[in-house]
Amino acid sequence: MRPRIGLLLGDPAGIGPELVAKLIALPETHARADVLLIGDRRQYLRGADIASTLDLHPVFIECPSSTEDYAPGNASAAAGDHVLACLRTAISRWQVGRIDAIVFAPLNKQAMKLAGMSHSDELRYFADLLGYRGSTSEINICGKLWTSRVTSHIPLRAVSSALTVEGICEAANLLDRALRTGGVAEPRIAVAALNPHAGEGGLLGTEEIEIIGPAIREARARGMSAHGPLPADTLFIAARRGDFDGVVTMYHDQGQIALKLLGFDRGVTLAGGLPAVITTPAHGTAFDIAGKGTADVRALREAFAVACRMVSR
Amino acid sequence: MPSKPRIGITLGDVAGVGPEVAVKAVLTPAVTARCVPILIGDLSVVRYYAERLAPTRTLRAINRPAAAKTEASDLQVLDLKNIEFSSVRVGQVDVASGRAALEYIRTGVDLCLAKELDALVTGPIHKEAAQQAGINAPGHTEYLAALCGVSEVRMLLVVGHLRALHISTHLSLREALDCVTQERILKTIRYGVAALQQLRIGKGRIGVAGLNPHAGEGGLFGREEIEEVAPAVAAAQSEGLDVTGPIPPDTIFHRMNRREFDLVVALYHDQGHIPLKLMGFDSGVNVTIGLPMIRTSVDHGTAFDIAGQLTANPESMVNAIELACVMSSDEF
Repeated sequence: MRPRIGLLLGDPAGIGPELVAKLIALPETHARADVLLIGDRRQYLRGADIASTLDLHPVFIECPSSTEDYAPGNASAAAGDHVLACLRTAISRWQVGRIDAIVFAPLNKQAMKLAGMSHSDELRYFADLLGYRGSTSEINICGKLWTSRVTSHIPLRAVSSALTVEGICEAANLLDRALRTGGVAEPRIAVAALNPHAGEGGLLGTEEIEIIGPAIREARARGMSAHGPLPADTLFIAARRGDFDGVVTMYHDQGQIALKLLGFDRGVTLAGGLPAVITTPAHGTAFDIAGKGTADVRALREAFAVACRMVSR
Repeated sequence: MPSKPRIGITLGDVAGVGPEVAVKAVLTPAVTARCVPILIGDLSVVRYYAERLAPTRTLRAINRPAAAKTEASDLQVLDLKNIEFSSVRVGQVDVASGRAALEYIRTGVDLCLAKELDALVTGPIHKEAAQQAGINAPGHTEYLAALCGVSEVRMLLVVGHLRALHISTHLSLREALDCVTQERILKTIRYGVAALQQLRIGKGRIGVAGLNPHAGEGGLFGREEIEEVAPAVAAAQSEGLDVTGPIPPDTIFHRMNRREFDLVVALYHDQGHIPLKLMGFDSGVNVTIGLPMIRTSVDHGTAFDIAGQLTANPESMVNAIELACVMSSDEF
């Protein structure tokens, strides 16, 4: 059965509408799935105008905005309010089975906060709307490499104390499930070490022996093909070579430093853990180039492809 | 024309790929065009690899660097006669190989300090074998510092135009975090300035990485950027240095790759090693900054799994020798 994808235009003041217009204009998009745009048709038309694409009369789930004009490159409460309404519509359409997955063009966190979103990020917002209480984590996808992280936006100094066997297992589990949904039958998951040279047998730190090693054994006992702890500075070379399908990182920059060099600005972020498949480009609203028609559609195209793959089975 | 520098090259642990990449490197025309390479090791080890890699070349044992011929196609070996290759257990940890490796390093250091060699390029040693042989230091770099009587050095990783200078070397992440102080960062910036001069880059642009996600996001995810990094950068700027920071760790290397910086100061081992190894494949070079001599090194290990198979890639060794040549040249 063809997947039905709910596609959101993102923050109307950013590059979202023009990217969506570009995506809609690609024949491959319609070969992959039935697309339902969720948002305000006027913004799609404005995006098509900026991107110089034809109006292809996409099917809409209308979610009208209060105003037609959002100054490009400006974070506003009005835009944030409209975006939150679109997200709520998308989630409710998913809950009643009208769409199989959600793909959204870049959002602006500041605009959503101005509009009253009290959650730390959209991932928690989705979890709340879905009534989902399990653990969630951003999964970053860069080509064939998928990564999850055990800790995220906390000081590096707090990372060691935040590592637990359960937390590491959960990050591996989220990744394992997502990869399986994405079509990898037996995901090979690498788990990064915390210390240089993976602690060198305890000489350069003991977290590998006391926490990460036991977590990997536990993950294997739960049926995952988990490997490590592996030295972080050679792990990504092996992953790029294709030795692994996924990497569990211990802290934010361990994965982000590598991913950004591997071209993650064209990568995809998946809302890991949630019952619904939700993807978005890794890049932001790019207010500096919004309205110019120069924005690169590759990351959104990839986000769309990942979502299609994950619900096509 | 200035005379070619004499570069000593230690074989490293003879049970690993060190001797193989050293012999392959000195057979490289680009290397012999720039320097007089002198292998520091045992003749029997060099002979084993030379016979297989270049059977027509003559081996020449010398007892002092001064005896090396400047324009010779011979492979010149400072023969320490301390191990017989037929007794070496290739691909295995052995205290005898470890002991021999340490002697190559000590000899190389002595000759550099005595100005008989212009620079030392080191092959990979095996940590366990070296420990058994009594290295009594956490790594190669620290061993060299001790031999030179220096208490503090910095590790510079070089991959093409990418250079990462680390404020600490081999420490657990927890211990490394305690090294993130204004004083140490400022000192490392100054080492960075010296390193760029030694590498003949001149007055380069230095970027200093933050420690925390998004460089702390204004104190939200950690305060080291505000309390330690920014004051160090400001102090360096007031000395007239071209220094920028703190910069989010996940964008600074990308920016250096786009040539916005000539060198990045990294705040812990993996912060600099993850990006440079990823960009470097097998080509990276390690340079020790702060020694009273020039020392570069391969950036890979002994690779026991492929030792003796003649399949090792000598690129890192060739680059290490070329960098040593640059650093010891008279031109500026």
